[in-house]
Amino acid sequence: MSHAPRILLAKTSLDGHWRGLSVVARALRDAGFHVIMGGMLTGAEIVRGAVDEDVDLVGLNVGGHVEVVIRVIGELRAARPELPIFAGGVLPPSSCKRLAALGVETYPPGSSLEDIVAAARRLTAASTPT
Amino acid sequence: MSRPPPPSFASRSGIPLKAAYGPGDVPESIRRVAGALPGEAPYYRGSFPQGYRTKPWRIFQLSGFGKPEDENERIKFLLHHGETGFLMEHDRNTADHLYNVDHPDVVARREDVGQTGAVMQSVREVAICLDGIPIESTYGHAGGAVVQHAPFALAAYWTVARRRGIPLEQLGGTGQSDFFLTYLGCVTKQQIPTAAGLRLNADIIEFCARHAPKWVPVSIAGYNGGDSGLNAWQELGAVIANAIEYLDEVKRRGNLDMTAAAHKVGGVNFRTTMDFFEDVAKLRAARKLWHDLLRERYGITDERALKLRIHIVTAGSMMTYSQPFNNIVRGTMMALSAVLGGTQSLGVSGYDEAISVPSEHAHQMSVRIQQILQHETNIGKVTDPLGGSYFVEALTAEMADRATAFAADIAAQGGFLATLDSGWLHARARDNQVAWQQAEEDGRQLVVGVTDFRDDASQFEVDGFPGVNDSYDVALSRLEAVRRERHETGAKTALKALEAAIRGTDNVMPRMLDALEAEVTLGEVGDLFRSVWGDWQTPELA
Repeated sequence: MSHAPRILLAKTSLDGHWRGLSVVARALRDAGFHVIMGGMLTGAEIVRGAVDEDVDLVGLNVGGHVEVVIRVIGELRAARPELPIFAGGVLPPSSCKRLAALGVETYPPGSSLEDIVAAARRLTAASTPT
Repeated sequence: MSRPPPPSFASRSGIPLKAAYGPGDVPESIRRVAGALPGEAPYYRGSFPQGYRTKPWRIFQLSGFGKPEDENERIKFLLHHGETGFLMEHDRNTADHLYNVDHPDVVARREDVGQTGAVMQSVREVAICLDGIPIESTYGHAGGAVVQHAPFALAAYWTVARRRGIPLEQLGGTGQSDFFLTYLGCVTKQQIPTAAGLRLNADIIEFCARHAPKWVPVSIAGYNGGDSGLNAWQELGAVIANAIEYLDEVKRRGNLDMTAAAHKVGGVNFRTTMDFFEDVAKLRAARKLWHDLLRERYGITDERALKLRIHIVTAGSMMTYSQPFNNIVRGTMMALSAVLGGTQSLGVSGYDEAISVPSEHAHQMSVRIQQILQHETNIGKVTDPLGGSYFVEALTAEMADRATAFAADIAAQGGFLATLDSGWLHARARDNQVAWQQAEEDGRQLVVGVTDFRDDASQFEVDGFPGVNDSYDVALSRLEAVRRERHETGAKTALKALEAAIRGTDNVMPRMLDALEAEVTLGEVGDLFRSVWGDWQTPELA
């Protein structure tokens, strides 16, 4: 492997619940990913983080409205069109469908870490060939 | 998927469980006090001799979303359906951060505004939220769960009461100002440091002891520690450590008699989970530890002060995203454990908890669960019905011992605030978060509808509560109206006086009340706090 795949994890909302994000971050680190914890970031800050840190994947933790997430995705796509994005958190089924339509995989509460890690491996496979 | 099912004969907190219990399992420490009935010291069997016969537990649900008028409508809906107290939620983006809606961090997420509570930037919006609600006769929670927001939220509620001619001396209700939520469970982007938070809480306690005899000013919310990852005995031990921090500070300041102080911090909050007996034991142990703490550390002998009053919220983290109607059963089980543990008030999480804030139907079900328990089951007619069970008594003793040891661990770290500042408590929570998730993944902890018995094509899916979409716009126009219409000199003068109180040692609350009266806004208070105190240095969370 040329380098450990780099993942930026960020919260799109100002909701500070951190338990889910913490557990996911731990699992991704244990699986060999380089995880950058972004905290509560605006769309512009997430774009800047993704570019500056040259990440291979962005994980969005959602604790607010899906419209905010969609706007963040739009900003990320404008800056780095090929960068894969996945999302987790409080996402009603209808929000999962809207994000799926944008090509963003979703992992709502109850998703297994095994599935999340597998998704991260798959989504970063193209940018970090082994 | 096939998994080895290693059996776990331990509680969720890791307390080993035997197949059956007998007289030899009840330790001497409990046997000594087992003859004491409910209402008799050390109160582990209950704070009041008549239990729910004379005072049914308060049906007390968190509620709030959208605009203040939306929240008002929901509170009235719940009261109409039999809720016996109400809890106001404030919008997390604005309230928890002390930002007005035109703060750049809020504007960037404007659709989030109102998702978790109504925006209340001035007393005008709080008045709309409380319109038509008889606060003179209804027990209300003013919001202000986050420490830096509490003085504003309390002062706003009290100002509405004063304008209605209700003297503060006669107003019953509560606030929260909880360190667990603020510095452990739901860490905001910007927050005043813990030392500043402690000063504000001591100000609130002292002010209420003098001017608001019926008001419970702060509520230590172990719930927020528990749902962040602390196990049952860690939650209880940390609540005791937190109480020590508040009471030691009041004692150090020397303005208030300790019995009066104890009255004001003696309402605490825990969570109940899906470990039924462990949580019953936690509540029984809590009352004994509270009694022992106040007697031994502070020399308090006043009976009323020694009796802990408990509020329970059933664990939101136990509510599953898939097959959400199963959560009605979970809510019932967790509520039952709260009641058998002797809680004084109760909120049951909505069955849609993992998806959104509660829909009207989910909220109504949370009330109905409690009403069914209260009126149909007879469980409230005998106090502490599990008292004397070999198992429950042994577990209560174990819980008390472990919680006491954990409180001592916190003291050895320099105290509760020090464990928040250093991240020590977060690390304990994080270890459990990971361990609990691992137990679900490797088959040791089965969760119906999640790890097993899945039904991916369920026709019973719910999509949660969508809320309303005009919260931001309305809040912005109301903010502009306040700025346009208020007496600008009066507002600036009040803000200056508040600043003088903050920089000095005068109690903040009288000046906060003046500021609310002068229509000082949430964001102005936040800017002031930040300029004086700066930001808490958040420890590494993950």
